[in-house]
Amino acid sequence: MNIKICLIGMGVVGTSFLQLLKEKEEFFKRKFDLKFIVNSIFEIDGALIKEDGIGLKELLNNKKNIKDLPYWKNGLKAIDLISKLPIDVCIETTPTNHKTGEPGLTHITEALKNHIDVISSNKGPFYLEYEKIKNLAKENNCSLKFEATVASSVPTLSIRENLIGNEILSLKAILNGTSNYILSRMTAEGVNFSFALNEAQEFGYAETDPTLDIEGYDAAGKLVIIANDLLGWSKSINDVKIEGISKITPQSIELAKSEGYVIKHLAMAEMNELIVKPVLIDKSSPLNINGTLNVIELQTKYAGPIILIGRGAGGFEAASAIINDLVNIGIKRQALS
Amino acid sequence: MINLEVKIPDTPGSLVELIKPISQNGGNIYGILHFHDRKLNNMIPVNINFELIEDIKETSLQNIKLELKEKNIQIENISYGIERKGIIILLTGHVFGTDILDTLQRLASKNIKVLELHAKFTEFEEVSNVKLKIEFSEGITKNEIINEIKMICDEKELFLITN
Repeated sequence: MNIKICLIGMGVVGTSFLQLLKEKEEFFKRKFDLKFIVNSIFEIDGALIKEDGIGLKELLNNKKNIKDLPYWKNGLKAIDLISKLPIDVCIETTPTNHKTGEPGLTHITEALKNHIDVISSNKGPFYLEYEKIKNLAKENNCSLKFEATVASSVPTLSIRENLIGNEILSLKAILNGTSNYILSRMTAEGVNFSFALNEAQEFGYAETDPTLDIEGYDAAGKLVIIANDLLGWSKSINDVKIEGISKITPQSIELAKSEGYVIKHLAMAEMNELIVKPVLIDKSSPLNINGTLNVIELQTKYAGPIILIGRGAGGFEAASAIINDLVNIGIKRQALS
Repeated sequence: MINLEVKIPDTPGSLVELIKPISQNGGNIYGILHFHDRKLNNMIPVNINFELIEDIKETSLQNIKLELKEKNIQIENISYGIERKGIIILLTGHVFGTDILDTLQRLASKNIKVLELHAKFTEFEEVSNVKLKIEFSEGITKNEIINEIKMICDEKELFLITN
């Protein structure tokens, strides 16, 4: 079966997705009898449009100069063309706008209104307008997948399909690699917050403006998505009590150590409350992970704690989650055809 | 805290058979007393102390009782100890400059007992970091304690971290 794809955003995640798609072309055909055809790629200032499919080899060889490709057209906008192009699946990978979710939110809603399945790595729309998007998908009978919005390649949202016989009661997680890296360095080396943050920025683990990460907003957004999708809650980011890590000192970390604790920036969902804040955890806790890793501990009714650990960010990490969602949509389309 | 008194046969693996249902139902075992010197008719009294996940305590305990019955392990007695719970809290800010005695007195007035206090100072602006070990008994929840402490911290602009 051929599946026609529109990709919105060719940044790190979008480019990694295209690379994986090319790499696994034969595998998809052999194992699933699926052929994915990218017929449109939208950037902020124009688009590549080729209805019979953009050649991925040529594209990836020219990824730094896509505007030199013959099928690049300046000024084209995804919002204007989503309804007009022959698209089965729209993949939205533009950067998150934590205040409005735009333009990603409009890309997603327009796609759904035009009966186009949606995959997203852009989390803003989902922690701001989760119910709206889900309802639109249902009304238009569309598949909607967004595994890459939470902990990248760690199969967090999709674990629901393997816990049908169980019930998730609560969760605790580390969902932001930047803040975890900073706290790990402060704990390991005894350095202060500013030093650890500068180091994180030098290594590319923190943005130039790290506010969303260190103040807990990024983790809060992901927590909302998990709570709504896995626990069936109905929350937005405004419902989260958020405290950042910028006031943590090396001395408080030492005091914690003396009791056998470490300080971690936890995102927690329990008793209908969402909280992101620094917490003392036992150093032997499975939540005590270091560096930029993410961890999610689900407390379940019949199986106790279930723990997922992995890299929570990165181009290929997010792209692999998108590929997973894409193949699942492809399989579903085959079953319905 | 739950204390279970049972008798198990003096055979290899019987202690493991006792522990399995408890740990499989989320039990966090704090201690096992194995009274080998009180063996009678090849049966040894054992006391085991454990905690269960609060949300599912009743269900877990029922399951444990059923599973022990299936294994022919007879429960002699179950008791629920009065548990003294502890919290560690870290305060960062002008802990001393905002009248630490007042802070401790206000905690005491809410039956929050401070057992230990340790302090470390940073280099700048006399900001201090204080660790308090706090004890409270059943009848008040951990969340209630933390809310009381949080109110004081918000008023005194102290940054609070708890376990």
